Amino acid sequence: MTIKTASDRPTMIEFREVQKYYGDYHALRGISAEIRAGEFFSLLGPSGCGKTTLLRTIAGFEDISSGAVLIDGKDMSNVPANKRPTNMVFQSYAIFPHLTVAENVGFGLRRDPRSSAEKARAVEEALELVGLKGYGPRAAHAMSGGQRQRVALARALILKPKVLLLDEPMSALDKKIREQMQVELIKLQRELGITFVLVTHDQEEALVMSDRIAVMFDGEIAQLADPETLYRHPNSRRVANFIGVMNFLPARVTAESDSHVALEVPGLGPLEVTPDQVAAQTSGGEATVGFRPETLTLLYEGQTASDREAPGVIDEVVYYGDMTYYDIRLDGVSAPVRISMRNVFGRPVLDVGSRIRVAWSPGALVLFR
Amino acid sequence: MKSPGLRLFAFAYLIFLYAPIVLLPIFAFNSGTIIAFPLKGFTLHWFDQLFSNATLGQALRNSLIIAVSTAIFATTLGIFAARASTRYRFPGKPGIMGLIMLPLVLPEIIVAVSLLIVLLGIGVPLSIFTVILGHVLAATPYAIAVLNAAFSSLDKSLEEAAYDLGETKWSTFRLITLPLVLPGIVSSMLMAFTISLDEFIIAFFLAGEQVTLPTYIFSQLRFPKQIPMIMALGTCLVIASIVLLTIAEYARRRGIAKTGAKDTGGFL
Ligand SMILES: Nc1ncnc2c1ncn2[C@@H]1O[C@H](COP(=O)(O)OP(=O)(O)OP(=O)(O)O)[C@@H](O)[C@H]1O
Ligand SMILES: [Mg+2]
Repeated sequence: MTIKTASDRPTMIEFREVQKYYGDYHALRGISAEIRAGEFFSLLGPSGCGKTTLLRTIAGFEDISSGAVLIDGKDMSNVPANKRPTNMVFQSYAIFPHLTVAENVGFGLRRDPRSSAEKARAVEEALELVGLKGYGPRAAHAMSGGQRQRVALARALILKPKVLLLDEPMSALDKKIREQMQVELIKLQRELGITFVLVTHDQEEALVMSDRIAVMFDGEIAQLADPETLYRHPNSRRVANFIGVMNFLPARVTAESDSHVALEVPGLGPLEVTPDQVAAQTSGGEATVGFRPETLTLLYEGQTASDREAPGVIDEVVYYGDMTYYDIRLDGVSAPVRISMRNVFGRPVLDVGSRIRVAWSPGALVLFR
Repeated sequence: MKSPGLRLFAFAYLIFLYAPIVLLPIFAFNSGTIIAFPLKGFTLHWFDQLFSNATLGQALRNSLIIAVSTAIFATTLGIFAARASTRYRFPGKPGIMGLIMLPLVLPEIIVAVSLLIVLLGIGVPLSIFTVILGHVLAATPYAIAVLNAAFSSLDKSLEEAAYDLGETKWSTFRLITLPLVLPGIVSSMLMAFTISLDEFIIAFFLAGEQVTLPTYIFSQLRFPKQIPMIMALGTCLVIASIVLLTIAEYARRRGIAKTGAKDTGGFL
């Protein structure tokens, strides 16, 4: 688990009401947020939501239509990309194919007044940092995907930027190398203490790596929080759906006070939730309760629920080795709800059509209204 | 090529393409003055005549100056246009690009005549320089077509990465863009050079008193006595073309091997 960033860290990047139009297309619709120094920050969202655009406004590749981007307290409106204290790892890695690995990594030092011997040492150190010691003389275009990414990292880090920007750096890697690189990136970020801003559309990647995540939809930040808060207390159904799996059941609010909200939920019966379980979604209309698959438990013969239970029938079984997903039709509800159960040795996987009972707890619910 | 019919077709096609070229050296070394079989005997006389011909020397010099200038100007203009069309969005872009490419499909005689009228109208004396103008106009669309391919296969983020690492727009162009589109530039220069070297109509209209290789050859065809010498000239030109293309292709392949780029065919 990531060590949570202390919230009293100074601000490194500040977006003030950032708007971006491409012609008539409104790509960023008033982004206001702060990224703290030394934070591993992720921009997460579906394709086309404006993540890359927002990242590029930090780098200086994209002029904003209105608002301001501040880095380390300084307004960047008149600072071009080549003068900003940021460096970027591109999605395609953008390795210069006609140069060697060492020439790629040392590219940013061309204007550095140090002697060439000192620069060569800096390059070697950067290569060592990313685990490519001794690869300097190789042709950059002959490197594998994972190695290219390391070259791109070393090249971006050699100028010791205040902020490292990464645009979907892992999307071109296969699963094994991706997971390995995720761990290495986290370690690197801790070691260097540089602010990392990562763009990703992979919610798992964002949860694993980030101190905080901004979830974006349609050019707006829908929610900005640490991974645990995002997962447990999504502020809208859209965020909840984007991060992990969430079941939804329609609910009717029957009574409301300062200390609790009373609900009637078909399939679960009457229940009460506390105000901190209520998502700040202000759409009005139909209320919905949401719950994650792992907050429900199948009860086997002779087991009893510690809190509440509900009867139902197994509709579908998906076996994953360590886990089994059950789709369950609760009595009185037409849409199935998904439950994930860890497979324990000696406990059988149940069959489709079995009548079962499900243990649940009102404390694990989120109310969207 | 499985079917015998297709094989035959390919064979006939190659003969049709290359037989005239093979005939050039045969008659260039033939001592007879009439271009017909049977051959009479071996001679180097025509080459001797060729190299001692002062007008021809002048024509060759003019043509080389024109072709080299055309290659440089057309490719330079092509670089600007190809970069603009692959990197920037601007209003009216398709129309503008279409207009630039128009000389590609315009009959050359129309271009030549209208250029002549314009140049005479504004009082520019006809010279090598006016031929260069015409040839640049004719060759630029070809240069753009070749360079467009080179520029559009260049990943935009390479330039952004260099800029991000502290280089200026210009040094980025010099350090990253230029080396990576170099094979395209070589192809473009070569194409513009060859287009200019054997261009007849524009040169015929715009050269004024000057001669170029094609206009000189045309003027000599009226004299049957000169034809074997023209054959010798053709032989030299074929050899020069082969050497030039070989060098260019070698350079292109080396460039590709160095950057590990995909070989997209290029010129040869
Ligand atoms: N140069 C541009 N001109 C016009 N529209 C653009 C331009 N760049 C991006 N857009 C549009 O802006 C929107 C946001 O693009 P952006 O690249 O930021 O998305 P993204 O969240 O990074 O998506 P992806 O996950 O697909 O990379 C998209 O709808 C895109 O079509
Ligand atoms: Mg993107």
